[in-house]
Amino acid sequence: MTDLATRPAETSVLRKIDWPTFIRRYGAAIVLALLVLFNIIFTENFLDLRNILFVQLRQAAPTAIVALGMALVIATGGIDLSVGAVVALSGQVTAVFLLDGVPPLVALPIGILVGVAAGLFNGTLVSRFGIQPMIATLVLFTAGRGLAQVVTGGRIQTVNQPIVEFLGLGVVAGLPISVFSLIVVTVAIMLVTRFTPAGTKLLAVGGNERAAGLVGIRTKRVKTMAYVVAGGLAGFVGLLELGRIQASDATNAGLNMELDAIAAVAVAGTTLAGGTFSPGRTIVGVLMLRLLQNTLVAHGIPREVAQIAQGLIIVAAIYLLRRSRDAR
Amino acid sequence: MRVRTHLRWIATAGAAALLVSGCSVDSGGSSEGGAAAGAASPAANCAIATAADPGNSQPADDTPIAENAPKLAQKDTYRVAFSQNANNGAWRIAETQSMQDEAKRLGYQIQVTDAQNNQSKQIQDIRSLIAQKPDALFVAPMTEEIGTVIGEAKADGIPVFLIDRTVSDSQAKAGTDYVTTIVSDFVQEGKRAAYALAKATGGTGKVIALEGTTGSSSAVDRKKGFEDALKECPGLELVATQDADNQRARAQDITESLLQANPDVTAVYAQGDDMAMGAIAAIRAAGKVPGKDILVVSGDGSKEALQAIVDGTMAANVECNPRFGPKAFEIMKQYAAGDDVPTKILNEDRLFDASNAAEFVNQAY
Repeated sequence: MTDLATRPAETSVLRKIDWPTFIRRYGAAIVLALLVLFNIIFTENFLDLRNILFVQLRQAAPTAIVALGMALVIATGGIDLSVGAVVALSGQVTAVFLLDGVPPLVALPIGILVGVAAGLFNGTLVSRFGIQPMIATLVLFTAGRGLAQVVTGGRIQTVNQPIVEFLGLGVVAGLPISVFSLIVVTVAIMLVTRFTPAGTKLLAVGGNERAAGLVGIRTKRVKTMAYVVAGGLAGFVGLLELGRIQASDATNAGLNMELDAIAAVAVAGTTLAGGTFSPGRTIVGVLMLRLLQNTLVAHGIPREVAQIAQGLIIVAAIYLLRRSRDAR
Repeated sequence: MRVRTHLRWIATAGAAALLVSGCSVDSGGSSEGGAAAGAASPAANCAIATAADPGNSQPADDTPIAENAPKLAQKDTYRVAFSQNANNGAWRIAETQSMQDEAKRLGYQIQVTDAQNNQSKQIQDIRSLIAQKPDALFVAPMTEEIGTVIGEAKADGIPVFLIDRTVSDSQAKAGTDYVTTIVSDFVQEGKRAAYALAKATGGTGKVIALEGTTGSSSAVDRKKGFEDALKECPGLELVATQDADNQRARAQDITESLLQANPDVTAVYAQGDDMAMGAIAAIRAAGKVPGKDILVVSGDGSKEALQAIVDGTMAANVECNPRFGPKAFEIMKQYAAGDDVPTKILNEDRLFDASNAAEFVNQAY
């Protein structure tokens, strides 16, 4: 009798969980956990603290910072294809100023300002002129990298200055600068979006722009701000990338970073239609895709195969996204 | 008469033989060419560890002579043209500069066009250069597929010399449509890198290799030369090979991952200098000392790489010489003089290591 009595209760608990939604939300985290487990067992020295902090997290941090900006833009229903080019442009401009003898206290903020200006440009095109985000940001996607190449004549510029070495190899609070920055940026974004009206406005604009406008939200300003923040973060990452290779490389800095960021937001289970924002899951998405690549590389599988694997995971994420919406 | 015999840039191995204790090698081995001591026999596990730099290769003996291409009159001064495919990147900028400098030195007039990495623009460039009837036309082809326009130069009686790349055989014939191609031997570059690495490490250790863009002829050929030579050196174990796309940041990420998975790696072969600089940064970031814990051998011969050798972070570098000017004009003069010019000529690349890097660093591109 007890058997019969308990069984229906069990199934009803399991049924209560909306599996497609659960996997959409936490699928990336589950895959990340599986990858970590795999590496602990099969990859030498994986659990070494130095490896975790200074290889895995350090490599992922710049993309994660860019992805957070991307997630903000996507939350408003937009997309920003220009961030990779902005990373290159910011690094180039900063490198040129540093090589001209401009003090770092001036040159580094200029790099971030380049990103902010790019964001303002994107945001204005999208919100004031009503241009589709993909087209609006395509302008700087191509022109930004072109400009970066013009700035230095296409040459890699090596910058052997203590500040650049610090950006690349420096340690703050026991963490590489990029990882430390990621934590600061994440906390700041979480505080602002959770505890100030900005977060509500952001999601309202992304969820239903007209309704948000009707309740008095200045939707254009909210959208522009999202692009400005994304641009500023990309500008900052330009500095990190400059430090990482101790040189500015207009052709390759930030290359495909916008796509990695969008992929991370997508595998994190965020709909690209806007209205949702989850910084934590976005970072998990970046870490998962990065660790997937690194795991395959560390085990001697060609990079091309790693790219295919990433594509398959994105397909799986999209499938789950659709399933969970249908289930709703 | 053949074009003058190629100089061999043999590192003075015998004379420079350094005293390394026996043939055992700690990873902190000298970054200088550390050959075995005096009378010691070559390391049993690496036949090439004590060998001299194999130097530049020679074109095959049966390379035909350019006989049917348009002739060039012997004159005191010439008006020449050069079609560059893309005047960007340090290497190509150095190549164009070398052509201009050598023309100036000889008192020739030279006109240069830049196709900006655009094949159809290069074809137009070449047509407009032909229309100006230069005495000779030098072309650095963007791809192998611009051969038909080369034939148009022949119709106008202008001899064409290809440099650094060639064109498809089905579109233009060497020795007929154009005089000759002057190229680097990438296979030999890979082979020389393997010899240099064997020498620097003493012939033992674990190696990771970073390759240029998958499928490019330089990547395919350097890999072949490197891996074939390494077969004679079982002591050096190639534990991983990855495509780093000639990119510094990518090479850095990949090296970091590979070093973590293979912590006992003692040497890195990067096919190109940008990747080598990324690898050196990764070695540093991993808390190891490049040039001491892990030796790096690379190819290209850029200024940055030579400086790295001077600084001790790179062991050796096989040049991929961008300075085609002197060779190109020398061949042109020989052709004008009626000497036999083979239809394929190999450019000379130097081997740089601690013994000569300081001497050449200021001339490097």
